[in-house]
Order: sequence, then C-alpha cells, then structure tokens
Amino acid sequence: MNTLIKLEITRTLRNKKFMFFSVIYPAALYLMIAGGASTTEKVEGTNLTLPLLMMVSMASFGAITAVLVGNSEKIAKEREKGWVRQLRLTSLPGRGYVTAKVASAAVVSLPSILVVFAVAAAVKDVRFDAAWQWFALTAVIWAGSIVFAALGVAVGYLATGDAVRPITFIIYFGLSMLGGLWMPTAVFPQWLQDIAEWVPTHAYAALGQAIEQGGAPHLKDVAIMVAYLALFGGAAAWLYRKDTHKA
Amino acid sequence: MVSFENVSKSYGTVRAVSDLSLDLYPGETVALLGPNGAGKSSTLDLLLGLRNADAGRVEVFGTTPQQAIEQGKVGAMLQSGGLMEDVKVRELVKLACDLHRNAYPLERVMEQAGITEIADRMVNKLSGGQEQRVRFAMATAGANELIVLDEPTTGMDVSARQAFWGVMRQQANEGRAVLFATHYLEEADAIADRVIVLHRGRVLADGSAAEIKAKAGARRIVFDLEGHIGEAALRELPFLASLEISGRTVRIQSHDADATVHALYGLGLYPRNLEVAGLGLEQAFIAITDAAAAEEAVSR
Repeated sequence: MNTLIKLEITRTLRNKKFMFFSVIYPAALYLMIAGGASTTEKVEGTNLTLPLLMMVSMASFGAITAVLVGNSEKIAKEREKGWVRQLRLTSLPGRGYVTAKVASAAVVSLPSILVVFAVAAAVKDVRFDAAWQWFALTAVIWAGSIVFAALGVAVGYLATGDAVRPITFIIYFGLSMLGGLWMPTAVFPQWLQDIAEWVPTHAYAALGQAIEQGGAPHLKDVAIMVAYLALFGGAAAWLYRKDTHKA
Repeated sequence: MVSFENVSKSYGTVRAVSDLSLDLYPGETVALLGPNGAGKSSTLDLLLGLRNADAGRVEVFGTTPQQAIEQGKVGAMLQSGGLMEDVKVRELVKLACDLHRNAYPLERVMEQAGITEIADRMVNKLSGGQEQRVRFAMATAGANELIVLDEPTTGMDVSARQAFWGVMRQQANEGRAVLFATHYLEEADAIADRVIVLHRGRVLADGSAAEIKAKAGARRIVFDLEGHIGEAALRELPFLASLEISGRTVRIQSHDADATVHALYGLGLYPRNLEVAGLGLEQAFIAITDAAAAEEAVSR
C-alpha cells in the first residue's frame, strides 16, 4: 500500500496544472482579497485583522481545493476508465485505494497551506503572539482537510463523467462561501449566519480562528468536524461497496 | 479450485449469466469460448468478484473471489482495464509486484511480458498492444495459482500474440491453471486443454477441443451429384449431423465420415469431386451455437 501512496503522490506532483491550481491559487486569491486591507484595523465582530483572518480562510480553502476537487474528479475518471477495476484485482484491500487517495491529497494540501502562510507573513506582515500558533494552525487545517478528502471520495463514487465537475464545483464553492472562507461570516445577514454555523467549512475555519485568538478549538466545531467525517466517510464506504454491483 | 453453482446474473432485463454451473481444476488451461454477448466477460467478472451474483454461489480456492485475490492466488488481466496515468511503465509494474503476496522480481516480470524496452515510457503514451502487455505484466507479477485472462490478445500483432502464448504455456507448465476468454477459435484450439462453449449465459459444451469438434460433427463431406437429388434418401444417411444442398453440391457434416460415405455409395449414387475434411473448431462452434438457437426456437 505504501507503494500506491508513493505513486499517487509522485503522479500528483507530475501533474503541473493541478499542483499550480492547488498551491498557487489560494495564495493568489489571498493577495486579491486581503492585499489592500489594513494590517492593523480589526474586522467587525472579531478582534483580528482581515489579513490574519483571511490567511486562515485561504489556507483552509486551498487545502479543500487540493483534496476535494482533486479526489472527486480523479476517482470518477479512474472508475470510468476501469483502473479501479484493475486495482481490485490486486491484493490491495478495498479501503487501500481510498486511503492512498486521501493520503496523497493530504500531501498536496500541505504545501498549499504553507504557501498561504508564507505569503501572509511576508507580504501582509501577519504575526502571532506565540510560535506554537503557526504549528497548531498548520496541524489543524491539515487534519481537518481529511473531512473534505472523504467528501471528495464520496463525490467521485457518486458522479460519473461530465457530471462530476459541476457537482464538485457546486459543493466546493457553495461550502467555501457559506462557511465563510471567502469573507468573514460576520458580514452575513443573521439568518445566513445561523445556517453557516453548521456547515463543515465553517467549523473547519473556526478551528483555525480559535487558534488565531490564542485559544484551543471549540468542542462544538471539533464535534461537527467529526460528525461530518463520519458522514462523508460512511457515504464513501457505502458508495464504494455499491460500486461493486455495477462497476 | 473454482466452482460456480447455479449462478445467475442479470443487468436489468438482460440475463448475462443464466443458472451457470462449472468447476475448474488445478493445472488446467481452459478456454471460455462464445460469441459477443455470450456471457464470457460477465462470468469472469463474477469469478473475480468484480460483480456479485444475483443468485447461486461462486467459490474460488474455497473462499470468496475477493479473498482469493487478496491472498494472492489469482492474477487477472481484463479486456479493457484502464491503467494509472502520469506514471512510468516500470512504476506501475513495481506497484503490482509490491501489492502481490508472492511477487516475482520486477525485472523478471517485465522481461517475461516483453516490456523491458518500454519500462521508462509513460503509461498514457503506449499503443494498444503495449498497454495489453503491461496489463499482462501486472497479471503475472507474482506466483498465482490461477490466471484469468479476458480476451488477452486483442490489439496484439501476430508475433506479440505468439510470444504471449509462449509465456502463458510456460505458466501452465509450472502447474498454474489458466482460464481465458477468447473469440479467436484457433487460440482455444491450439492452447486450451479444455474448451467451455458459452451461449446466452449457459454452458453449451464442455470438453477438449477434439470433443467439441466431435460434438458438432467431426468431419465435413462435400460432393456434387448429377441428375435428380433424392433429399429424403440423403437425410437417412447414418451419422448425419447436418445436410445442406445448394444446386448440385451437397454438404454434409458427419460424426463418422467413413460410414456415411460407405452408405452414400450404398444408395447407388455416384458422388463426384468427393471431399472429406476435418471440421475446424470454428465450424464446430458455429454448428453448436446454431443447434442451440434452433432448439430454443422449437421450444418457444
């Protein structure tokens, strides 16, 4: 299985277009949104600056790009082409493929997180009180991306062919916006804020925001993430088994 | 070793496999022969656990197909299995070796499959025949007890095909069972110890290539007749499998050509341009499937 994980990582790194998209794009978007913002003024409803808030949002967004978009499209395509069938004829246990996909996606999501951090620190002078916050943020955003990797696997097994891209992007942009990854949810009207609270991307961003403020992640957000992981993971596993009947 | 017990599989209203029962034994080389839509690929998919049967039981090495594969007892090569993209041939075959419980050395696998020269090429830049050889390498990455091949030589040229069957024979000589689906009848005839003819998801005939030929009428007799041809008398000939008259030419398939020809002279006829020839497996195959279709028409 390690060979498969290594190979999945190798070929992802070879896919220049994909790497560019997932590593450069979030950092570029960060500069577009936060580039002109004041580095001292606090965002309404929080005690953090926009560049800092957006740094966590865009790092999260970049991680989601790498794991969700990458996984769903690749899995749907590989199912269609019969590669998943071929792989089923090896000693690799069924979950191995899914594990390899999640693992390789996680390796790609790490640089995208780090690039956003580096750009934010260099260009917008983002600093924390303590160094541990950088490490904790990286760990939390990275670990949280597994939830979306599982969602990517589920979507890859749900949709085929032409349908997979629009479905992925609706989920991807919908979740990103609603979860407040592009703009703080504080600017949403109240009714939308009430919905956003339960969206996985919101809980995901909130994990990071708690650390930004120097605290530990809220239990509620962790619980929401775990619940979504169970939901997406369960759906992925169920769809994978169902696929055996029609593959 | 492999056992199908009253296995059925339908896709919607189409019955791909219908109440199929068969057993395979260690060391056999078996051809699964049938026209398109006969249920060959479906049967192999069931055997490999890629699909689940609607009814009946499929057992491979005393366990489920999935488990037999996980234990590294079965290697398989699919007709159209896609390959991983953005990887080199060597990397992909190494993956197959690393995933196998009893893997052979990588270089040996590649050499046997004849892909050593293309080891550093990207998989998505290969020709159809080269891709097929990579699939073959993946199927033979380790010491399997059973090798399953679905129309393995599709897309290969003649020399590649010969090389392929050379390696396959070697595998069989090492005591491995080989099961392959094919529509190349010469292949079934030349390579298989046992031929299973499938038609509409059922086993139509099961035996050695010679037995299959015998079942369809082993010999073909062709001759011309002058004057009035008494069809009724010809139909009474002994060991007759089929009779066809076109113009002056009579074509007969017989289970015992000697006896049939002897009786022909016994009728007082004088056949001209008499030819007696063996039936190829191809004609035997057509004869068997035609007979089955006719039977089906009668029973309706």
